[in-house]
Amino acid sequence: MSDIRHSLLRRDALSAAKEVLYHLDIYFSSQLQSTALPIVDKATIELVEDFIFHVPKDRGVQLKRMSSLQELQLLEIMCSYFQEQSKDAVRQLIFSALFSPQGNKADDSRMAMLGKLVSMAVAVCRVPILECAASWLQRTHALYCVRLAKVLVDDYCSLVPGSLQTLQHIYTASPRFCCQFITAVTALYDFSSEDLIPSPGLLEMVVTWVVDDPRLTLITFLNMPISASLPLGSLGVTPLLGLVRWCVKAPLAKRAKESAPTADTESFYSKLHLGVLQILLMLQVHLTEKNLFGRLELLQFEHVVQLVEELNPLNASREIELSLNRLAQVLQVSLSAGALLCTREDLRSLCSRLPHNNLLQLVMSGPVQQPPHSPFQPGFYPHIHTPPLGYPPRPSPPAHNTHPSHPAPQFLPGMSFPYRPIR
Amino acid sequence: MSAQADCEFLVKKARELVSEDPWAAKAWLITARTLYPSDFNIQYEMYTIERNAERTASAGRLLYDMFVNFPDQPVVWREITVITAALRNDCQDKHAQFLRGLFETLPGRVQCEMLLKATEQCFNTVEKAEMLLLLLRRFPESVVQHGVSLGETLLEAEGIEDLDTPVNCFRKLFVCDVLPLIINTPDMRLPPNLLYKYMHKAAEFYIGYVTRGPSADGQLQGSQEGMGLKSPGAARGSQRYVIDGLTEKSSLVSDPWERLLDILAVVGARCEWQGDKGSRSYPEILQRMKKLCRYLPGLEGETLSRCRSQVVICAALVLFRSAYLYVSTVQPSLFQGLSSPGTMPWILLEDLSSVYSEVDLERSTKHAHKKCKLADGREKPMSSDDEDGLGKGRGRHIVVNKADMPGWAETLDSFRTARESWDLLHSHEALESEFNKICSSWKTETWLWLRIFLTDMIIYQGQYRKALSSLHQMASFQAPQQGPMSPQGSLEHQRALIQLASCHYALGEYRMACEKLLDVVSVLVPQTQDPCRTPEDQTRVRGKFRKGNDLRLLSCTGKAIMPFCLQLMLACFKLRAFTDSRDDLALGHVIVLLQHDWPLGEGLFLKAVDKICQQGSFQYENFFNYVTNIDMLEEFAYLRTNEGGRIQLELLPNQGMLIKHHTVTRGITKGVKEDFRLAMERQVSRCGENLMSVLHRFCINEKIILIQSLP
Repeated sequence: MSDIRHSLLRRDALSAAKEVLYHLDIYFSSQLQSTALPIVDKATIELVEDFIFHVPKDRGVQLKRMSSLQELQLLEIMCSYFQEQSKDAVRQLIFSALFSPQGNKADDSRMAMLGKLVSMAVAVCRVPILECAASWLQRTHALYCVRLAKVLVDDYCSLVPGSLQTLQHIYTASPRFCCQFITAVTALYDFSSEDLIPSPGLLEMVVTWVVDDPRLTLITFLNMPISASLPLGSLGVTPLLGLVRWCVKAPLAKRAKESAPTADTESFYSKLHLGVLQILLMLQVHLTEKNLFGRLELLQFEHVVQLVEELNPLNASREIELSLNRLAQVLQVSLSAGALLCTREDLRSLCSRLPHNNLLQLVMSGPVQQPPHSPFQPGFYPHIHTPPLGYPPRPSPPAHNTHPSHPAPQFLPGMSFPYRPIR
Repeated sequence: MSAQADCEFLVKKARELVSEDPWAAKAWLITARTLYPSDFNIQYEMYTIERNAERTASAGRLLYDMFVNFPDQPVVWREITVITAALRNDCQDKHAQFLRGLFETLPGRVQCEMLLKATEQCFNTVEKAEMLLLLLRRFPESVVQHGVSLGETLLEAEGIEDLDTPVNCFRKLFVCDVLPLIINTPDMRLPPNLLYKYMHKAAEFYIGYVTRGPSADGQLQGSQEGMGLKSPGAARGSQRYVIDGLTEKSSLVSDPWERLLDILAVVGARCEWQGDKGSRSYPEILQRMKKLCRYLPGLEGETLSRCRSQVVICAALVLFRSAYLYVSTVQPSLFQGLSSPGTMPWILLEDLSSVYSEVDLERSTKHAHKKCKLADGREKPMSSDDEDGLGKGRGRHIVVNKADMPGWAETLDSFRTARESWDLLHSHEALESEFNKICSSWKTETWLWLRIFLTDMIIYQGQYRKALSSLHQMASFQAPQQGPMSPQGSLEHQRALIQLASCHYALGEYRMACEKLLDVVSVLVPQTQDPCRTPEDQTRVRGKFRKGNDLRLLSCTGKAIMPFCLQLMLACFKLRAFTDSRDDLALGHVIVLLQHDWPLGEGLFLKAVDKICQQGSFQYENFFNYVTNIDMLEEFAYLRTNEGGRIQLELLPNQGMLIKHHTVTRGITKGVKEDFRLAMERQVSRCGENLMSVLHRFCINEKIILIQSLP
């Protein structure tokens, strides 16, 4: 390793960086021959930090810095490298070696470079990089993810407003990246301050994505092994919480904003809210089919508690009415869909400090029990298009009795998930 | 709060929001449905929003949910009724298309169930059938179960309604919609007798449909029914024909003969017909049947009866189609509107274009202009009596004016094919009896168009006596149809009369012939200009001297019929005028008639002059009323001179009487001479008169004399 270091020192910054990339490629390719999961060792990390991010270390060596032009050239080289490397595993390893935060002072340079690379990949539609970035967003701590999202929003929404169309296209280029981006961006813009309210352009883009294809938001979840546990502090597996927060808090935030919200913005939130409910309904079908109902908490109760705490109960205007209606609807539908695992009692204590709202009241108390003689059995029909031949008896409702803790009546609209696994 | 109050609250909220914020309305309803999944109103509200916004996929999904979960809700049924109605009708508006699209989004099994249940709720047979048809078309496997019973229901309904025409809604649905499904379903077991029954039903329908009358007012149709005449098809509108009880789209039957041929092919294959290798044209079928017929006497038992049925149905279809094609050219107004442009009726008559020649007077003469001794009056008429005929008319030639009749070759072909089919069907007693059974069940004796073909066929065969009775029958068909018609229209209804005259003439019954003919002339309006003959006719007259047994398809218009009448009268009088015995009246008529088409009749005129010269005198008091031909006038002026032979001509009315009383008085004779000269001079000034008007007047005024002067 020291041989390489020695030879690299003699080169100029750009060619040294190129040499490192070249070295990593050979190194990981050969590693993958012998072991399925090679580890990115400390020496490699240091090599990257020294010769790509040029972080000065206390080793008494003065490293050459790159000029802006050289940096741009390096980005181009990286772009082509990821484009041309056909092995997904190698690509992922190198991306990880380059951009996994290490908790040291190199992270700033690392994040700066990552932001530029992903922004560039969006601009020139480099799918392999977007895919690597999607994985990165999945396993990296939310704080870093939010920073990456911020770079993209700044580049495409604030800096050059007309370029929003380019960012919009990531939906077709890499749905996985798009899904993770929604999660990151809704985590970033949490309505906690005036600056953290999404701009109309960003809002419209996200709403369009969600409404046009509600399944998009579940891609990460559907492609994840059921047993996989998320790294601590990472983003949620779906953007559900973030989207719910947008819908519930938007009516209240409007007041705070100087500029009056347009009717457009209002209808966007309304559409988005309906989209969220539809995502929950799809989720219900999936959970039932996979026999996961009641086992996975897609919308974690503690997060909901946090969201409710963020609501300002002092405001008893029409805005809070809308906000509470949406909250009540999300709670009811996610409870029924099995995305939120709690009892009506939990809900009552959760919402006790909120102003009175008819629907919320109804949701907290739950449905009035049907007369016992009611012959109705909710039908279960996930696949609407069964072959037309024959007249099989209607399938009996699925046995939810395995989860007696969730007695809410199950309504299961039939939505199939045509893409699974996605890639 | 009760569950019902909750639901009402939720639905009300959604309704308030729907116009202003439809997404919020839907969010409310989704929430409501998770709270009360068994509440119908919530789901119906969801459906209503989607339906009103015409969102096909989501509305279809919700309808499906309702159909599965709330099968007993009347509202659901009302919805399904509206949708199935949209499926049945041909309405193209946006909402109907949406409803059809909505139905398409449903899973096949549900569509099937929906249609079956909707069918059960139908009380109207046609609606029920249409509904079941939707089902059978979509789900071919259901044909085995429902196909035949649906067919029988329709046929039964037709019987119960006691309809007077096979072109009715039940038969249409059966023949065009149900039958193809039944016979084209391979799993369907169908016994041959059922197939034959269906085949007959189909044939009767298609023939009735094709030969249905043109658009007609109810009065006309009513009078036909009053006669007990089953008109060929119910006539209700020619352009936009609608079968009672069906929509306009559903009433439309395209390519009926082809459809019939398709059914014939399938039935043939199913009944294992002989040599049925799917030849696809009617004339080919006839040729095949002719061959098959040769083997018929050698067959027995079931093979024989199968073969017989095959020959009869095949030949009958060829017969009816060809006869229809022939009659549709000959009398297009039967099938089209009266005012269809570019078509004119045609009429099959004896060909009289050689009437001006002297061949029939002088047997076996080569040159028409060569003077010969006159033939005796026992000249045989062109055709003889019914029995020997002209070898049953085999190989008779039919003259047509090719320029006037563009499709003449096809028309004559159809006529021939139809005759051959008829002959085939009557070549064996067994075939004939089976064919007669079909005819009597279809009441073909009431088909006017078929009667027209049959009459023409009999005429062609030279069976004139039989033709006469057929024509009398036809005239009685047509009599009630006569109303205030255009001259051409009324002439068309004289066609039976014209053909009667032609037949009487062919039988040598000249007096009858002229009687009928003069009746025809009385309704004709003389043409303003003398119709000139076409060059083609001229060549035929001059070129070929056929023995006079030709027929001619003549356009049935005043312009063509008036000359024919004149020719036929000439033919009647010609023989009488040139007999050895003297008949000045007949000779005078001939001279008047010869003016027409002058100078074609010059040879005959000279012959007449010869005869007058031989007689030395000639008496015809109508001469100056009707002879305006300058050549003839000159010739007669000449006859009186010394050079001309000093022929004694009594051409002025009452002149003969004068001469008889005052033969001795020279002065009076002189006065007579003076009268003749003045009359001649006056007559020369009449030369410019319209000859057709003169001859028309001649026919009208002298009708009685003309008839009486024939035996």
